Amino acid sequence: MFRLIAHRLLALVPLLLIVSVLTFSFTSLLPSDPVDLILGDTGTQEQHEMLRERLGLNEPVVVRYFQWLGRAAQGDLGTSFFNSVSVTSAVMQRLPVTLSLTFVSALIAIIVGVAAGIAAALRPRSWVDRFATLGATIGQAIPNFWFGLILVAVFAVSLRWFPATGFTPISTSPWEWLRSVTLPSIALGLSSSAAIARQVRSAMVGVLQQDYIRAARAQGLSTRRVIFRHALTNAMIPVVAVLSFQITVLLGGALIVEQVFAINGLGTLAITAVRQQDIPMLQGLVLVMVALVVVVQLATDVIYGLLNPKARPS
Amino acid sequence: MSCALALAAGQAWAQEAGTFRYAEQVKLITMDPQQQSGSGVPFLRPVYESLFEKGPDGENVPLLATGYEVDGLDVTITLREGVSFSNGEAFNAEAAAANINRGIKLDVIEGLRTVESAEAANEYTLRIKLKEPDPAIINSLCYTGGMMIAPAALDDPAVDRNPVGTGPYVYNASESREGEVRVYTPNPTYWDKDKIGLARYEVWEIPDDTARLNSLRTGQIDAGNWLSNAQAAIIDRAPDLELIRHNGGLNYHVIISDREGTVVPAFADPLVRKAMALAIDRDAFNQAIQFGLAVKSFQPYGQGDWAYDPSLEGVYEYDLDKARELMAQSGFPEGFTFDMPSIPIYQSRLEALAGFFQEIGITMNIVPLEPGTLARRSRTTDFPATNLVWNTITDPKFVALRYIYEDAAYNPFKAKPSDELLALAEEGLNSVESEERAPAYKKMAAQLADEAFLIFVTNAPILFGVSEKTANNPSVVYRYGEDSINLRGLVAND
Amino acid sequence: MNPSSASHIRPVPRRFRWRLNATSVITVTTVSVLVLLALLAIFADWLAPYNPLQQNLIKALQGPSAQHWLGTDDLGRDVLSRLIYGCRIAIIAAAEATAIAIILGVPLGLFIGYKGGWWDWVVMRMVEAIVSIPGIMVAIVIIALLGPGLHRAMIALGILFSTSFLRLARGVVLAEREEVYVRSARVVGAPDSRILLRHILPNIAPPLIVQVTLTVGAVLLAEAGLSFIGLGVQPPNASWGTMLNTAAAYMDLNWFLAIPPGLAIIVTVLSVNLLGDVIRDSIGRGIAVGPRSETATASTDTDVPAAGAAANPLPPREDEVLRVEGLRVVVGEGAGVPVITDLSFGISRGETMGLVGESGSGKTMTGLAILGLMSAGLRTTQGSIVLNGKDLRTLSRRQIEQVRGNEVAMVFQDPTTSLNPAFTVGSQIAEVLRTRQGLSQKQAWARVVELIDRVGIPRPEERARAYPHELSGGMAQRIAIARALSCNPSLLIADEPTTALDVTVQQEILDLFRDLQDEFGMAILFVTHDLAVAADICDRISVMYAGEMVETAEVGALFASPRHPYTRGLLSAMPHASDRNPPLPTIRGNVPRPGSWPTGCRFSNRCDFRIAACEARVPLTGTDRLVRCIRADELQLERAS
Repeated sequence: MFRLIAHRLLALVPLLLIVSVLTFSFTSLLPSDPVDLILGDTGTQEQHEMLRERLGLNEPVVVRYFQWLGRAAQGDLGTSFFNSVSVTSAVMQRLPVTLSLTFVSALIAIIVGVAAGIAAALRPRSWVDRFATLGATIGQAIPNFWFGLILVAVFAVSLRWFPATGFTPISTSPWEWLRSVTLPSIALGLSSSAAIARQVRSAMVGVLQQDYIRAARAQGLSTRRVIFRHALTNAMIPVVAVLSFQITVLLGGALIVEQVFAINGLGTLAITAVRQQDIPMLQGLVLVMVALVVVVQLATDVIYGLLNPKARPS
Repeated sequence: MSCALALAAGQAWAQEAGTFRYAEQVKLITMDPQQQSGSGVPFLRPVYESLFEKGPDGENVPLLATGYEVDGLDVTITLREGVSFSNGEAFNAEAAAANINRGIKLDVIEGLRTVESAEAANEYTLRIKLKEPDPAIINSLCYTGGMMIAPAALDDPAVDRNPVGTGPYVYNASESREGEVRVYTPNPTYWDKDKIGLARYEVWEIPDDTARLNSLRTGQIDAGNWLSNAQAAIIDRAPDLELIRHNGGLNYHVIISDREGTVVPAFADPLVRKAMALAIDRDAFNQAIQFGLAVKSFQPYGQGDWAYDPSLEGVYEYDLDKARELMAQSGFPEGFTFDMPSIPIYQSRLEALAGFFQEIGITMNIVPLEPGTLARRSRTTDFPATNLVWNTITDPKFVALRYIYEDAAYNPFKAKPSDELLALAEEGLNSVESEERAPAYKKMAAQLADEAFLIFVTNAPILFGVSEKTANNPSVVYRYGEDSINLRGLVAND
Repeated sequence: MNPSSASHIRPVPRRFRWRLNATSVITVTTVSVLVLLALLAIFADWLAPYNPLQQNLIKALQGPSAQHWLGTDDLGRDVLSRLIYGCRIAIIAAAEATAIAIILGVPLGLFIGYKGGWWDWVVMRMVEAIVSIPGIMVAIVIIALLGPGLHRAMIALGILFSTSFLRLARGVVLAEREEVYVRSARVVGAPDSRILLRHILPNIAPPLIVQVTLTVGAVLLAEAGLSFIGLGVQPPNASWGTMLNTAAAYMDLNWFLAIPPGLAIIVTVLSVNLLGDVIRDSIGRGIAVGPRSETATASTDTDVPAAGAAANPLPPREDEVLRVEGLRVVVGEGAGVPVITDLSFGISRGETMGLVGESGSGKTMTGLAILGLMSAGLRTTQGSIVLNGKDLRTLSRRQIEQVRGNEVAMVFQDPTTSLNPAFTVGSQIAEVLRTRQGLSQKQAWARVVELIDRVGIPRPEERARAYPHELSGGMAQRIAIARALSCNPSLLIADEPTTALDVTVQQEILDLFRDLQDEFGMAILFVTHDLAVAADICDRISVMYAGEMVETAEVGALFASPRHPYTRGLLSAMPHASDRNPPLPTIRGNVPRPGSWPTGCRFSNRCDFRIAACEARVPLTGTDRLVRCIRADELQLERAS
């Protein structure tokens, strides 16, 4: 297990390098001159030159890249073009927000998806199965932000059970935190729970036909034990592989759902950065997201190894 | 360290103080008042105090100053003694002069454009030298132009996120969250301690109108500002919320920048411009877009402003037949097409205007811009026309500074003003007394209507949405003509 | 031929037809929705009641009415008309992004797949990097470069989704490149590019079609999302996403604004996804689902219980552990299609009875029927299964769970699949001991080691901690036997327990069964298709054919003088060497499927001795040895002579 983690962490380095090269070369293609963007056309020639110097734009792209990389390696992702905010601190401030949404929605997606998938798989073609399958199919077709709008209209504006907007940090009040992330997480988790349910169902149906299930039942083990211990452990193996992809999807979905709930997470930061063409901010955001995705992949790999003895290095 | 300090400070006032939460509709760009080009003043007021401020009736009241004297191009201002910046530096004439001179150099604040230089006459006397007579100089010092930054912070490249002033509260960076909330805590060295009534003041950055409304409904904020839109109308109707219609107004108008027809020849034809002014159904516009919260407008000022001329009411009342007739008489009976820049909050306004212009054969393409860039792009020749709002309490001289003079800020095509306009603009500067200046500006408004390169649409009051408790809080005082609450003496609800 | 053959039985005709119907209903519905969408998009100018940009400020934010079926938006524009024009944007968006994705992804994927090496490495690392960023973030970054707007956003999405087409194309090339025909084409001297086009493109089509449906659905959702956050289609143009953007601002005043565009997106994406599922299934399954089975015989067969068996039950054997009497298993609802009919036999303590027959004869299912573990859809409808005096058919689920393991256990064909791959083998035996016999963790483990030792595995302590995939087949089967015997059952059902093993191991396992039977004294029902194995281990043998028993005899007698033509066929087909693979050459044809059995003697259509009388049902006759053939005596004589 340790070797697996170490291997994964090592693989992270080239990946981050490639991503940083990609984003850096990509953003240096931007049609507009950042200095013009920042100063508008009001600044004097002198101001333009000073800013150019300060941003290091007079250096060739390659030099700029390595300067940036050197600082990034020390955790300094640079400074926003538009104010003196450090990219690292801006991203880190928003990270708990987006992570909260991603985490809670992943939790919801897993619980709902696994439960529905099992229920459907246990009685293939029963009404439970049809209902779950239909629900999963529709769930994957519903835009998360639209679902969010409806949830706000019903549960926040009409019933007032949850706040309609905003985010409370967990350190301020765990209860308020939970209230503030519930609706967005449900909106966000819907399509993933649908995807997971479909995956669990097909994996479970497959596993339930396996000899070892029949063999376990032939030994007189109770149905519950057979389903939850013998079948589920095996059915979760392909599901875990899907899960890491779904969490990436959730992270991306969070960017949009945040807008519905006016939550200041990475999404708001990203959209502002795009509108202003704030390149250092965009670079930092992409890099942090990739790192997050890799961590998630690592975690799922570990779980995968725990579930599947064949995947363990012996 | 700063965190511990803030905590200690918070506890000292906590018993009787509490928190007040305000929501601002614009995103914070910079906390440097001298780089700040208009909106977002509520982020600055807790930290920065200006030399003067507006009294309840719009009169100039000394704040960091104690008095002033204007003598031709020389302005002498006496400063309050015993005031220090929150970083410990002393507030004196030297610091004030450094501030004014930096403002001149940065050249962002319109009100300082008439100032040549500033110097310290003695420790508490500031002398300002004007380039030209300016009856509104003290007025300008009531706003960002008069806000005093600590000398050490003047050279700080990060002053946009690290403001240091003399105000009743200090900016608490560690508890603020970028793009979300700015936290202010009491200034332990404030010169007028009795006026600190809060342990904590927060300004939330909530650009989404619905989100801001929901925050007000759920009590996450105590007050906030709104444009005249659907959410403001909802607040107006909600039984437990109140919509405060404050003085000062946002005058929404269309500017024909290319009025000599460089890019769009039709704009050189006054008949076309008049037809456009007549084609706008301002009542319907007000009802549908501004939810009846505004009034029709035909001039730069609103009812009650000293330069307002009631006789101009209805000069371009909606008359489609007449507008079509003018178009037919003009050199462009077939109509024409032009581009109009837009930002999200003006989107529906422009879509409505496009619909009106379509009726007289004019196609207006809406070109979306990034929020916060409209004013800047409007000063370029990128667009033959633009749309902006202007606060009606702004001194009328700025109408000329913005739109009329050949080098006016929003005259990118350098159109030559008519002799009449130029003469009236000069005449308005001849006195410092409003009553003496008013006739000139009234005539100027009439002349503007006649030339019709500024098409005024509606005038909406400054709107605050507040909770019932805030509405009943006697310490809540709205700054004259401004979208912020006076923090001196503000105490929390309950 | 394998224990799961039961599950391979084709779905019953009725269900099968329903499924077909459901699929065609889905296909028709989704295609109609998409065609309607296309028509709306093409004829929007004629169909929309109003100009989508025509505003009427006085009539803003109205609910549905006769003039405006779906109401009006914030500028008094007709929602229905905007929705209809939104179809056009949706189709343009989906077509544009998907086309860009294909045009970018497929050629590049083909290229790097074919070239391999350095190109492949670099491009794939870049693809990995892009894929590891959330998709919407990739789109946002690209939009930062290009600027917002429908076409630019679609270019962004096209670039994003091109990665999946690239990987797909590359995968197909890599797979096909190794195919013989590509190599042979190269030998003939066709140039590289022609090889690619001629051989690889046709193979790429099916997965490409599936990927297109997936992409279209994803593009529609992504376009709506980007437009919603203001980076996609720009107002005043009507796209469903921008309509939702407007709706979000006016939720309080007119929540209905959010409903039409939301439903439009859902219905469209749902249709695309469902159609994709149908296409995927049909491609995956190879279009046809299998021949329709003839239903005619299903009903004619229900009746005529062969007089012999039902009327004269077999006399009980001495010290009988299991007695099966007149058992009938059917598949499907209602009367169902019979799979096993009129099956009776008994096994005594310490006896090994063989159940022999070809694949599909019903022998494995007999074993499963005793345990009550048949696949879904199968059930026993008649007869009794009496084990140690209890009729298992009458027991509740809980009661039969008590019987399993304790009184009857089963060893399956493939030891590597009958052990759970997720747990150590020891823990799987210990689990049975703990849950069934209430042993403590420690006691159970000690017993596990003892059992593993008993089945002849060296270093039992260590092996108990191994996972199934770490053991050889023979060792795994020993573990499975140990588990089956852990609760000391009185009946052991062994379903082809040696078939999956190497020949040398087979003998060891058979020896193990014999040893264990001597020690524990259980009865064994030994299911096998291999007569040599049966001859080796069984005391008696029953031959099954098409769901019924055709002959039963002591092993010696059976081999000496088979009386049923089928038995005779089986014996003459016995391989001389250990070759397991060849079919039984002297019996032509295959075992008929349930539902298509001949009405009379079920072997009649393959039988060389068939006469007219074989058209009627044939009872099982005899006393000491039983046979189901009207010509048995006749043939016996014939053969003897």
